[in-house]
Amino acid sequence: MTTAIETRKLTKWYGRSRGIRDVDLVVEAGQIFGFLGPNGAGKSTTIRLLLDLIRPTSGSARVLGLDVHRDRLAIDRRVSYVPGEVSLYDELTGRQLLTYLGNLQGSVDAAYRDRLIERLELDPTKRIKSLSRGNKQKVGLVAAFMIRPDLLILDEPTAGLDPFIQLEFERLCEETREEGKTVFISSHQLPEVEHLCDRVGIIRDGRLLAVESIADLKDRALRRLEIDFGGPVPAEAFANLPGVRDLTVDDGILRCTVMGSLDALVKAAARFEVRNLRSIDTSLEEIFMAYYGAGDGAAEEVAGHAAA
Amino acid sequence: MLLRSVFAKQVRDLRWPTFWVSLGMGGMTGYFALLFPTYSKLFDLNDMLAKMGPAAKLLGASMGDASTLVGFLHIELFSMILPALMVAFTAGMASGFTAGEESRGTIDVLLSFPISRRRLILEKTLALVLGCTAAAVVVWILAMAGAAVSASALPADHLAAALVMLVLLGLAFGALALAISVATGNRGAAIGVAVALMVAMYLVDGLATVVDGLGVVRPLSLFRYYMGNDPLRNGLSLADAAVLGAVAAVFLVASVVLFERRDLAV
Repeated sequence: MTTAIETRKLTKWYGRSRGIRDVDLVVEAGQIFGFLGPNGAGKSTTIRLLLDLIRPTSGSARVLGLDVHRDRLAIDRRVSYVPGEVSLYDELTGRQLLTYLGNLQGSVDAAYRDRLIERLELDPTKRIKSLSRGNKQKVGLVAAFMIRPDLLILDEPTAGLDPFIQLEFERLCEETREEGKTVFISSHQLPEVEHLCDRVGIIRDGRLLAVESIADLKDRALRRLEIDFGGPVPAEAFANLPGVRDLTVDDGILRCTVMGSLDALVKAAARFEVRNLRSIDTSLEEIFMAYYGAGDGAAEEVAGHAAA
Repeated sequence: MLLRSVFAKQVRDLRWPTFWVSLGMGGMTGYFALLFPTYSKLFDLNDMLAKMGPAAKLLGASMGDASTLVGFLHIELFSMILPALMVAFTAGMASGFTAGEESRGTIDVLLSFPISRRRLILEKTLALVLGCTAAAVVVWILAMAGAAVSASALPADHLAAALVMLVLLGLAFGALALAISVATGNRGAAIGVAVALMVAMYLVDGLATVVDGLGVVRPLSLFRYYMGNDPLRNGLSLADAAVLGAVAAVFLVASVVLFERRDLAV
């Protein structure tokens, strides 16, 4: 098994503005994959298609090599899902709910389940009705992890979790990956998942713009640079350097943004006295925005680039 | 125990509604069976019905002979009150099977476990059949007990036959409500349509006995099959039972087909 998720021209059209279009997404097994995009971009629609809760207008999807509709039960036995807002049976306690879902699954390692309850600090004796959003989320997470799924699909999983529990959740995701299994996390915030994910897919307005490894994204890191020279320097000396943008030279202070290697800029600056050099690393969020966050024109350009 | 399967969970969800509908229907039936001799001494019920004239027929009392417990139960309970309670119960519960899970948002997690949509509906329906049957058994026991204490004649098999018809009528309307709720995802609409149809069919069946020309549409009324053969007096009509059972089955199959095709909780 090498492919956890594979969609082909997957399309769900609800009308003009919603849905997804021609999504070709491949998620290899054994990684943590971030599925990123603003709210309303089509993340949940894609996930619900993978779960066969809704049916595609056209295109197809396979999960763990199985057809999402025809092989539904085989998939359900090996895949678990936590929705963004976990809704569970209010009248049951956490433990009763986990017992119920465990019974539907067939067999669940009770000792492992109880360890998960401890790790996420869930009080299983409380009725779901009385739980806060974050605690309901924990019940959903225990239910999802307890079946030791080959693929875990999480829709905005960390909303409402306190930071400590979030760390524990991330450890669980990493353990899952270490076992060779796959975690698919959707989020509208890159910082939430960037340290966790191996690769990210970016979806916007229902179209998959790009799939990149986090390492590649970081290689293309943008840095803001500020060089303080001893005296005035000619701006022309820094014109047309590869990777350098937004250049200003003002009062002997150069400011610019550099994409990729600093080599050319540093060599050009070395001809003058350099009093100070400050580099401000940009977050992945800013890189992300620089590439994909611009207007529709830029998005089209990137989409074209990704397709090429 | 009651969390072992979708069926078991549904039995658990139905236990209190089943308890109350059993108590309501059984209590009333037992009460009338117990006090029937007193009633019949105080009032000449047949005389009262005669004075009501066609109105009595409209209310489904057309076939009753109120001087016997069997006729009295038919007029007072089996013609309207018991079916109304039973249908309210079945339609109310069945309409929530999938629409309830959808509106509460629980369907996503539930179906991400290995349960097919078909099985979800069938297991829940089976639980409802069990609930209706339990309620009917309670009614039977309390009615027979009341009749025994008051020394009134009440044939056990005929009462059972009438209750079988009551359960089947409930299941037919329950399956209808289920189909509507599955098609629309709207629980309120499903209950509303099922109850409105029940009232309409009840009225058509009553009116058909006094208004010429309505006889043509009478076969469309499920009440025609439910009490048309007066099972309390004549025992079970297999043909009538088969019609109600078939109606329930058709709507159940339709529910499954619709549910398997639909986008859920969009």
